[in-house]
Amino acid sequence: MMEALLSGMDQLFTVSTMISMALGVIAGVIASAIPGFTITMAIVLTLPLTFTMPPLQGVATMLAVYVGGYTGGLISAALLGIPGTPSSVATTFDAFPMARKGEPGRALALGIWASFFGALVSVIVLILAAPPLAMIAVKLGAWEYFSLIIFAMTVVASLVGTSMLKGLMTGLLGLFIATVGADPMMGVARFTFDSDLLANGFPFLVVLIGIFAVSQLLSEVEDAAGVKQGKALMPDDVSFEPLTALKEVLRYPVNLVRSSLVGVFIGAVPGAGGSIANLLAYDQAKRASKTPEAFGTGTPEGVIASESGNSATSGGGLIPMIALGIPGSAVDAVLMASLMVHGIGVGPRLIMDHGDLVYGMFMAMMVAAMMVLVVCLFSMRLFLRVTEVPKSVIVPVVLVCCVIGAFALNNRVTDVYLLLGIGVFGYILSKLNYPLAPLVLGVILGPIAETNLRRALMSDENWTLFFTRPISLALLALAALSIVLAIRHRRRAAHTTPART
Amino acid sequence: MSQAHTDRSSQGEPTASGRGGPLAHLIVNGALAALFTALFFRAQALPASMWEPLGSGSFPRLVLAVLVMLNLTIMVKELRAFIAQPAGERGQVSAWIWRHRLAFGVLSLFAAYILLLPWLGFTLASLGFLLAGQWLLGARSFKGLAIALVIALVFSLGVDTLFRDVFIISLPRGLFG
Repeated sequence: MMEALLSGMDQLFTVSTMISMALGVIAGVIASAIPGFTITMAIVLTLPLTFTMPPLQGVATMLAVYVGGYTGGLISAALLGIPGTPSSVATTFDAFPMARKGEPGRALALGIWASFFGALVSVIVLILAAPPLAMIAVKLGAWEYFSLIIFAMTVVASLVGTSMLKGLMTGLLGLFIATVGADPMMGVARFTFDSDLLANGFPFLVVLIGIFAVSQLLSEVEDAAGVKQGKALMPDDVSFEPLTALKEVLRYPVNLVRSSLVGVFIGAVPGAGGSIANLLAYDQAKRASKTPEAFGTGTPEGVIASESGNSATSGGGLIPMIALGIPGSAVDAVLMASLMVHGIGVGPRLIMDHGDLVYGMFMAMMVAAMMVLVVCLFSMRLFLRVTEVPKSVIVPVVLVCCVIGAFALNNRVTDVYLLLGIGVFGYILSKLNYPLAPLVLGVILGPIAETNLRRALMSDENWTLFFTRPISLALLALAALSIVLAIRHRRRAAHTTPART
Repeated sequence: MSQAHTDRSSQGEPTASGRGGPLAHLIVNGALAALFTALFFRAQALPASMWEPLGSGSFPRLVLAVLVMLNLTIMVKELRAFIAQPAGERGQVSAWIWRHRLAFGVLSLFAAYILLLPWLGFTLASLGFLLAGQWLLGARSFKGLAIALVIALVFSLGVDTLFRDVFIISLPRGLFG
């Protein structure tokens, strides 16, 4: 092990690798800060550039984009209220209100430190516990996957908005939207009405941009008087104090470690990833908090939970990939492809045959986390300049970026038409006080839920297995519990603040 | 039920008062319930499978059935709120539309931009949208228009060049294709 570690370090700490990693970190942060540019897209764009590099340099550069991307999503989530990636949906719940209250610098600094600690914890767990954690994740069958998704949906429906009914409605709407297009198992076209527009279904990225970016940007220009006066998205007085934020983050060690561990575990479950981790980490932090009522109003606990949770999935996602050759997410699949381009087979023999590469990847994760911290802390003042740009500039520019993001995904103009339709629909839903996060989660999880439900019943038609397999039962019980607790919490809140008219 | 009385946008701005909010819910949720019911029956025509108990239509039907029930439940709640609320003052709807005029203006420009994108190409369509959008949102002075022009050029021509030459991704070319 020691020999492999030293060999990995030797290959990693070269000038060219450090430079390409630093560029990767900057590219990841910037790409994810732009709404619509997901980490997946950034890493896919990086892939061709790594073909000519040695294997470890190539993977290290992509890992730098990956780790940078998880932090970059924070910037647009905090400043614009638009999650740059699905992994930063929960960040908007508290970072955006905090920024709106005149503390954008604090929201970003808290998020950066929480991301750093989340990534650090995930790398430590990755090194220490990769094999046993991967074994737990791989034991999940189709029944457990389906139950996990039910749990995730009920959690998010109970978490956001003022009405659980509305949360469930938008969550299920997301599940339905995901069924449009080709059936995931038989390939039959569903609800396409023989139209080119719907032939490929609704790509989740297009739904994400339309629902969050377009509808949010339209809300930004409702205040006609403020926009015409050149009012910026944030107040002019922005202070960025990293050391104060570090002290504040360290004031919540339990929250930090718990959220990071949630992120690592969820990241290790193939298919789950950062989009669920940030919401679950946020939910756990809210339940454990002494002041749960402060969540959603700009509390530091919410920012810390979401950002440490999503950053920790980067390490967690590598666990099944390295140990079993199963990518935990689309990003891990691209990483896997980059290794295969160099003729390296990814699977259980990877650690044995290419120990230097695997330990080099572990080290690269840690180096990337530190680089992100340095880049963000030193350049955050530049990012904060975004807050000084008037709405008259930022709204049209970001709308153009949304169009580019929707088009570049599949090079299809029809996806841009869908973006417009979804944006208008999202705007109507937001005006009617419907929470939008469950809808996006439903679109992402819909195909996984359907495939696993059908697979489970295909292998055994006995549906009671969902309730008799222990992990599946536990997840369904947790789903029911989250609904009961949410209803109880809302009733209690309604009793303490009666007659809200 | 309280949320029906105080509908708020994501920024916490009241969106309607009196019967406006419940009425909007009744219209939207009613339309959605009707749409989902029609789609539920359409899903029955989807083929079953010989290899699995659930065919391609079962999961969508399950989701659609629950969606219809949820929308009807929301409608019942909103109907109660509608009955309990006094009628709003005349002209509320037009006042609401006037308050949101900039949002509707940007939305119209955005729709025109997207519809013209395949015909004009990314560069020209984006240039026009960015200039018109910034003008609509307040860039009226000479300095403001000059800045708007620079921004429009960077995010249309500049971005197109970046994507074409660096990322090897071709954005719609339109007239110049």
